[in-house]
Amino acid sequence: MASEDTAPSHSHHRDSIKSSVGNTAANRRRQQAISIGKERREALIRAKRLCRDSIFDDGDNEKGLDEGEMVIDEEQSVLNARTAQTVQELKSSLSYQGKDATQKTIEALCALRKLLSKSEVPPIEAAIQGGAVPLLVQCLSFGSADEQLLEAAWCVTNIAAGGPEETKSLLSALPLLIAHLGERSSGHVAEQCAWALGNVSGEDMELRSILFAQGALLPLTRLMLSNRESTARTAAWALSNLIKGPDPKAANELIRIEAITDTIVKHLKTADEELVTEVAWVVVYLSALSDKAISILVRSDVVPVLVNRLVGSESLQLLIPVLRSLGNLVAADAYITHSVLIVGNDITDQVLYGLIKCLKSEHRVLKKEALWVLSNIAAGTLEHKTLIFSSEAVPLLIDLLSAAPFEIRKEAAYTLGNICVGPTKGSDNKSDIIVTHLVPLVKGGCLPGFVNLVRSADLESARVGLIFLELVMRGYPNGEGPKLVEMEDGIDAMERFQFHENQEMRNVANALVDKYFGADYGV
Amino acid sequence: MDSMDSSVASPDLGLELGFPFWVASRRRFKPDDPFFASGNLERELLAKHVALDLTEDERFQLQRMEIADANLFCPIAGCGARLEYLEEFEDHYNTRHMASCSVCFRVYPTSRLLSIHISEVHDSFFQAKVARGFPMYECLVEGCGAKLKSYKSRQRHLIDKHRFPSNFEFYKKAHPSKHQRQKLQRKAYKGGDAKDQESFMDLDAKKESKQTRPKHYRPKQEVKSGTERESEMEVETKLHHPQTTETKVVTNSEAKNEKAKAETEMEVEERIEDIVSGISKLSTVDASSPSSVSFGHRHSRGFAFVPRSVRNQNQISKREQTRKP
Repeated sequence: MASEDTAPSHSHHRDSIKSSVGNTAANRRRQQAISIGKERREALIRAKRLCRDSIFDDGDNEKGLDEGEMVIDEEQSVLNARTAQTVQELKSSLSYQGKDATQKTIEALCALRKLLSKSEVPPIEAAIQGGAVPLLVQCLSFGSADEQLLEAAWCVTNIAAGGPEETKSLLSALPLLIAHLGERSSGHVAEQCAWALGNVSGEDMELRSILFAQGALLPLTRLMLSNRESTARTAAWALSNLIKGPDPKAANELIRIEAITDTIVKHLKTADEELVTEVAWVVVYLSALSDKAISILVRSDVVPVLVNRLVGSESLQLLIPVLRSLGNLVAADAYITHSVLIVGNDITDQVLYGLIKCLKSEHRVLKKEALWVLSNIAAGTLEHKTLIFSSEAVPLLIDLLSAAPFEIRKEAAYTLGNICVGPTKGSDNKSDIIVTHLVPLVKGGCLPGFVNLVRSADLESARVGLIFLELVMRGYPNGEGPKLVEMEDGIDAMERFQFHENQEMRNVANALVDKYFGADYGV
Repeated sequence: MDSMDSSVASPDLGLELGFPFWVASRRRFKPDDPFFASGNLERELLAKHVALDLTEDERFQLQRMEIADANLFCPIAGCGARLEYLEEFEDHYNTRHMASCSVCFRVYPTSRLLSIHISEVHDSFFQAKVARGFPMYECLVEGCGAKLKSYKSRQRHLIDKHRFPSNFEFYKKAHPSKHQRQKLQRKAYKGGDAKDQESFMDLDAKKESKQTRPKHYRPKQEVKSGTERESEMEVETKLHHPQTTETKVVTNSEAKNEKAKAETEMEVEERIEDIVSGISKLSTVDASSPSSVSFGHRHSRGFAFVPRSVRNQNQISKREQTRKP
């Protein structure tokens, strides 16, 4: 029981950092993983897609495509040198005036394209430094042969898959790319340009703004209507990158395009899950950024179709945007819970079923975001709360509250709390406590999970835990609340906050302890 | 449109300080909110068809990059230790913030606060200096250096100079232990067995003869009427001891250890300990005596009992501030 050494706080710092390292070997491996993989990691996280294979169907066009040559496995310096050389060849072929000029250009472009698509780490920097961009812009000029346009757009696509500096070097190419999206272009050319624009949009808001100003939105939307699935898919993906904000202007503009909702519904119903996925992401950003879009979408067929997908699909890739779209819509507009997801309607049961399915899944993202949606539905009418309360969600919720990673626990906490608190307020201006829900939930063992949240270093979680404990202590019948909280070491958890740096936390915790565990307690 | 805030809505009036009662409301997040980060990451990984290619380590690192990006620090005032991830907090807390007093088992989050506690409560020399007018009560904020002459004036200093909340008490009134409360509840259900109370008082009487204690000490169990309370209060003003109530933290392991022991044995031990630790708070000059009187069970106690007489004293000052509706 000896008190701690009187070392100053900075050595606490040192110690806590030191002590977090358990096994030195594992730590070294981890350090290596961090430093070596950094570039690869950044490439993975980017909202960009490298185009490694031809957008033509396999086997359609063998010309210039060596399927056997999958990866150029060369040292970076050799690769860079080859790239520089190839760019020079392109340059000379462009200045060549002879009869085979176009053919030579296409060959040079093809060589460059292969370097940029078949290597593990494409030599983007080398290509730019070698002066490729102005040459590529030249290759994209109007009236050029389709194959030339295709190869040039492909090169630009992969250069745009790089980092910020590299992507921004492509500014001069953008208007041309947009132009070639037009309906007069060859389908393949348009698709490749859409891909390139998708990569550029995926970079940052500044580039998205530029592309929007240059008029990329409309042609991309038209491309999304293409009969070719790969084109529609690519266009949808590019569109989702273009409107993702945070500036809502592109999203607001998109929803104003005539028949866009019908297009979205149509695509959400198709069999091609990849297409559904990309279109669902468009809905995600529409519903996240544009109030006008929300208003239209909640009254359209989009919601029932999304619900169908939620229930019917097993693909994680598809479920994420479908779930999130529904989540955004439910979060933003009371219309959904009050007018669409009415308790008793089939669609409501479907939604609940779909959400529960996500809760049972092994994927963190699905669990977390499904809980978020559920918590918002639980913030609806009394009927909604009762519906969720009587479903098989409750044991899952309590389990997730106790055992899941913290961010999931927090969402489960919100859901459980919302189930216990009514939509109306009493005369004391506090929300009504639904005792018929609260008691079984506490008996079902939810208290330890909440007390645990109170101990969290995360301020929001601790707060959620504390105010739920307040509910229990105030609303549990026969004044048994405080005792129940105490039995789960709730007092201990609350008193930890006496020295919390956050004033509100201190006040809240102190107020609770004072009120419910004062001198009269236990007598 | 609902706000983007959490469901803990605007402060409500109830408990004096605008308590944020639970309000069931929808929560909305912007598309670039960290809430969506892991979902966005998953999207990009799946689209690149590399989800399966990733090594366990890489996946771990990627997730950490996304989730633990928000710099996480220990929220205990004055600590600021960097936490790599949330789960680490519990360990960190148990290692760094459980400085406990070997006399009364109260736990403090820093060794500095612990040593302040020890001086102010268990050190007779400290009290002697206070009595002679030396400013002995240190400001609790590290680095301030101010020393005040009384607990109350130090309190004032914290509130005025360091913006502590007005209800902050370094020495809060103590809470009876879990076992104590359970015991009391059992007694209450039995209907206040007079015999029990008597035997307790006898025990007190026996102990009284052994130690120098104010004769007016009364056991906690007695149900007080209004007048009784008042007389007790008068009595207390005669007792010379600082106005202290103390913060208390029951350490879980200790509380649990208690359960393992036989009940009756515990009751006797408890009473003895109650008295002894009660003494440590009542008398200032004899602060040394409790530590020498050891019944060898201290380690099992997570908490020291405060006799009602002492508690009530602070109850008075509290009552002056707050009135129950």
